[in-house]
Amino acid sequence: MIVLLLAGLLVLIGAGVPIAYSLGVSVLLYIVLSDPHLIFVLPLQVFAGFHSYALMSLPLFILMGQVMNSAQITSRLIDFSMLLAGRFRSGLGLVNVLASMLFGGISGSSASDTASIGSVLIPEMEKRGYRKEVAAGITVASSTMGMVIPPSIPMVLYAVVAHQSVGKLFLGGVFPGILVGLMQMGLVQALARTGISREARRPTLASALDRTLRSIPVLLMPVVVVGSVVFGIATATESAALGVLYAALAGFLLTRALGIKSFWECLRSSTLTSAKIMIVIALSQAYIWILALERIPEALAEMIVGLGLGATGTLLLIDLIILCAGTIIDVSPAILLLTPVFAPALQELGVSPILFGVLLVSGLAVGACTPPVGTCLNVGAAIANLDIGTIFRGAAPFLAANAATLFLATVFPQIALWLPERLMP
Amino acid sequence: MLEQFERHLTRALEGVLAAGMLGIFGIIVILVAMRYGFQTGLVGANELATVAFVYVSSLGAAVAVGKDEHIRVDLISGRLSHRGRKTLRIISLTLVGLLNLVVAAYSMSWIATTGYTPLPASQLPRYLAQASVPLGCFLALVYCCAKILATLRKEPGS
Repeated sequence: MIVLLLAGLLVLIGAGVPIAYSLGVSVLLYIVLSDPHLIFVLPLQVFAGFHSYALMSLPLFILMGQVMNSAQITSRLIDFSMLLAGRFRSGLGLVNVLASMLFGGISGSSASDTASIGSVLIPEMEKRGYRKEVAAGITVASSTMGMVIPPSIPMVLYAVVAHQSVGKLFLGGVFPGILVGLMQMGLVQALARTGISREARRPTLASALDRTLRSIPVLLMPVVVVGSVVFGIATATESAALGVLYAALAGFLLTRALGIKSFWECLRSSTLTSAKIMIVIALSQAYIWILALERIPEALAEMIVGLGLGATGTLLLIDLIILCAGTIIDVSPAILLLTPVFAPALQELGVSPILFGVLLVSGLAVGACTPPVGTCLNVGAAIANLDIGTIFRGAAPFLAANAATLFLATVFPQIALWLPERLMP
Repeated sequence: MLEQFERHLTRALEGVLAAGMLGIFGIIVILVAMRYGFQTGLVGANELATVAFVYVSSLGAAVAVGKDEHIRVDLISGRLSHRGRKTLRIISLTLVGLLNLVVAAYSMSWIATTGYTPLPASQLPRYLAQASVPLGCFLALVYCCAKILATLRKEPGS
């Protein structure tokens, strides 16, 4: 019967049925064929999936990112990044990565990072002599930091599913995110420098000061959002709402790019984006309930522990599975399906759930840039007007930095755990 | 006619969703302001925000069916002929509709059994929140039917 559950899911997803409903229909099929009395559980599980105070942070973080986008803060971030990195060789490539690091600390979403930074920097980089696929590739690959550097929407999702602290997960993503950024900058210097001249002159002190001051309100945002969670000032949901308020004030008063109409549009589109994730959560609850009923996670845990690979060996194996899963399944459903499957085994091996969360999100972030279902790849393709295969070829060398960080954090867990252990013992 | 109805329904629902989201945001900000500004809170306000969130999620999922925006993997359908794509789409919409029909139908007896229990803080009857499930499923079913009819009517190449 369990084979039917798994095969049904794969066939339905492959046939193009939305992932949420593929989960629901395979559960329905399982219930009808095994024990029709269980059908009463379906509405209950759907409601339980929606009815969560902690999950309310999800639409609010999505709204925060969208308000920030509409407030046109990207230009200030790019300007500040230009100030820091624009003078160096391959400056625009470095600016692209640096802006993504800063943007990742504000939006929590890689797709919006690709869209807002890519639409400004890809044409500019092309003008300065970068090949278009390289410019788009750097944009797409660097946008992965949006998921790892806090605040991060996938981290919130993992925190809710795995019953872990959002603050600890946010902190866990700081160093891996920065490491990815530094490695990508190194790769930009090594790979994209040929024929590229310096992009900007040394700024005067007055102009540097002015540009820094203009960026400060934007740069303070991650401090407000992450700091309020880490230091116990607000819950994750409240910090997300404060983030929305901060972003709205910045948009209305500072950049003056946000109006009532565009704020309303942000509200409308953020509910739709979050509902798409929420229905996956709701129906995956039912699916996971069936898996638990069939004792699949326990059986899998026994099997994984039985391999005798030890904690690090098992994590490396799981890293590979995460990277593969990320190529064919979107980030949110992957988190919802992989967390309950692997968590029992890792718990038995004494692996920190915070470390697993950071590795899971970092690994799946790579999947967002790989064909066939890479969300960021699709956004990048739409902006650069290139096919996803070409952009992936441009992004692949830079995604090596993500893979390297993933394996480094697996072997040296302190990369992810040091900061949460120090600040939230 | 059908498309017009669908468009109006979507526009109305999107308005409700945006208002709901604004409500959630407003409640949470007010609660934080009251906690730090006046060392007080509002009994049941968090519960109210959660109920609004359940409606936003449930109705939003229905609107996403109407707008074809659900997360999916288009590995096979993109490589099929027009006829194959049309068949697959109808099958997919039928399955989505069927699931929503089952959930809506069975949620009625569940609500009848447990719906009158009050929510712990606000004391509102639980069915006010639970009703979001059949409502969302019913709307998703309406969208599925409309989309199946529209797909059946669509000519090749249009």
